Amino acid sequence: MRDMVEGIVLAALSLIAIWGAWQVPPAGSGDTWAGIVPFAASVALLVLSGFLVLGGMRTAHSGDGATTNSGSDTLDILILFAVALLYQQSFRWFGYVLPTAVVAPVVLNIFGIRNRIGLAASVVICPLIFHVIFFELLGVFPPYGEVFDLLDWFRG
Amino acid sequence: MEIFPALATVITDPTLLFAIVLASAVGMVVGATPGLTASAAIAMLLPITFYMSPLFALAFLYVIGKSGRYGGSVAAILFNTPGTAASAATQIDGYPLARAGKAGKAMKVATISSVIGDLMGDVMLVVGVGFIAAIALKLGPPETFAIYFAAFVVIGSVIGKSITKGLASALLGILVAMIGLDPISSEERFTFGSFELSNGIGLVPLMIGVFVLGEVFAQLEERQKSKDAIKENVTDPEGHSLSFDEYKPCIPHAVRGGFIGAGIGVLPGLGSAIAAFISYGEGKRRARNPEQWGNGALEGVAAPEAANNAVSGPSMAPLLTLGIPGSTIGAILLGVFLIHGIQVGPTLFLTDKELVYQLFACGMLGILAYGLIGFFGATQVARLILKVPTSVLYPLIFLTAFVAAYSARGSMFDVTVMTVAGFAGWLMRKFEFNVAAFVISFVLAKGAEETFRQALLMSDGGALIFVERPIAAAFILIGLAAMGFRIRSIMKERRIAEGGHGDA
Repeated sequence: MRDMVEGIVLAALSLIAIWGAWQVPPAGSGDTWAGIVPFAASVALLVLSGFLVLGGMRTAHSGDGATTNSGSDTLDILILFAVALLYQQSFRWFGYVLPTAVVAPVVLNIFGIRNRIGLAASVVICPLIFHVIFFELLGVFPPYGEVFDLLDWFRG
Repeated sequence: MEIFPALATVITDPTLLFAIVLASAVGMVVGATPGLTASAAIAMLLPITFYMSPLFALAFLYVIGKSGRYGGSVAAILFNTPGTAASAATQIDGYPLARAGKAGKAMKVATISSVIGDLMGDVMLVVGVGFIAAIALKLGPPETFAIYFAAFVVIGSVIGKSITKGLASALLGILVAMIGLDPISSEERFTFGSFELSNGIGLVPLMIGVFVLGEVFAQLEERQKSKDAIKENVTDPEGHSLSFDEYKPCIPHAVRGGFIGAGIGVLPGLGSAIAAFISYGEGKRRARNPEQWGNGALEGVAAPEAANNAVSGPSMAPLLTLGIPGSTIGAILLGVFLIHGIQVGPTLFLTDKELVYQLFACGMLGILAYGLIGFFGATQVARLILKVPTSVLYPLIFLTAFVAAYSARGSMFDVTVMTVAGFAGWLMRKFEFNVAAFVISFVLAKGAEETFRQALLMSDGGALIFVERPIAAAFILIGLAAMGFRIRSIMKERRIAEGGHGDA
């Protein structure tokens, strides 16, 4: 059953890719079409997804397709992914320091740290250490927060 | 003989020596930490190398890769958890030795064998790479594309359990690499009107996402399972020392393992895990005491460890001479070359020959460095690893992934790419797709496309040019044959599992 679902997802992806490759304009005279490799790869992916679906159907018939599902683990991952998406987006809004100060204890908590002093310390220590290493020592220009930037506030 | 002046240059440069020793220690710790891989560490450190000289950056990451391969044996022997896939073969005899109070002895055998194998691989690389580069210079676009094709098929079909998923992973890597402007005609491909996508997907954020953030997601999932207490090993004061008489029976196994590893290392995609298991199987077949293998034979540690590490040097040959990385570490190193504006391929030996041989020299000194650190300090490293709580380590790695992805180009889009790649990398692991095939294909895709289209332009008969030219046809056949053999072996395994006759 799992193979079948994977095959269907891959088939959907390959159809999108075939459509995307088809949008590439035709080549000029004496040139090769820029979409030839994307198109060929997409079609090959569609064929492979067909094999996966067929394999899944065969497994479903023989009844070997039992899979274990750990719902709570997957939920943890989805929460962490949501945190990751929000974290990277918040760089654009609030710069580096403030989002890191907020996210550090959240992620530590997700990984099982419950010590309140430790979590509180991470609010200061994590942004400070990363800021010093990357934006002071390595000289990378920090992302600028469009809404509010704590770094600007610190620098007056 | 270019290696001798290169060695002299490296030995007389204190900053390079410092980088080599530091990288040996870092690689060993990373390799020995279950769940952390040398690939993840190299990907994470990649943006920092922007600020280093090319040789310093390459040497630092190359030695981490070498040392990380060796470090995997520490976790395999002490914790029964291989730090790398290649160390799983070491675990078979290493852990029983540790349980019997001979952990120190087993780790010393692993260290010496790793050094022997790795040095053998590097010597073969130094001797052979010039010849391969000279041949590679004579290859035209059809032959080069055929080599790329063989690499795609071998990498997609040989690594991992499922050929279909392996090849699908390779195709996904090719499709992601096609996003952006076509380098020949400047037509947009898969950009869907997005300006940011027209610049393509960056190698560094993709690597950090797949290897670092993806690994953090995977570790969060594994957290519950890994809570099992590590069994306390018996302590035997005699079990830490190793005499020459004890190591003597291991020497033929280590040397054979070195040859096996070096031979497999030249072939892209096969990797050190396959080399280690082949060497273990071959060693057991030829052993005087096969009944002891699996229950704590020192030779059973020497054979896979030598092969595992011997892969490291020769795997650089296809990367440097053809631009085809044979492993994920090779793919990341290719990124470092490109970041520093160095074109990898046969012309590298005309334009940057000194750099290449100095890199080999750094690798050889790195082997000696991790050998010394491992021989005298592997037990201390293991104790250090046990003290680092993973519940703190992985959140820190999570935070580092974001700032590292941003630092590469100061681009917020790269951070988004890294985040999405991280989740995709986790999904691929979870559903047993082949992450290594995905990344290596991503790296290879542009070169393969270029040679494919060049070959079509110079051909009158279209795609027939790949069949008409004998070398090209031979490589295409090699790729197809590798896939055929793999299909055959999978079907054989399946028949055995179903209780049929394996040889049917």
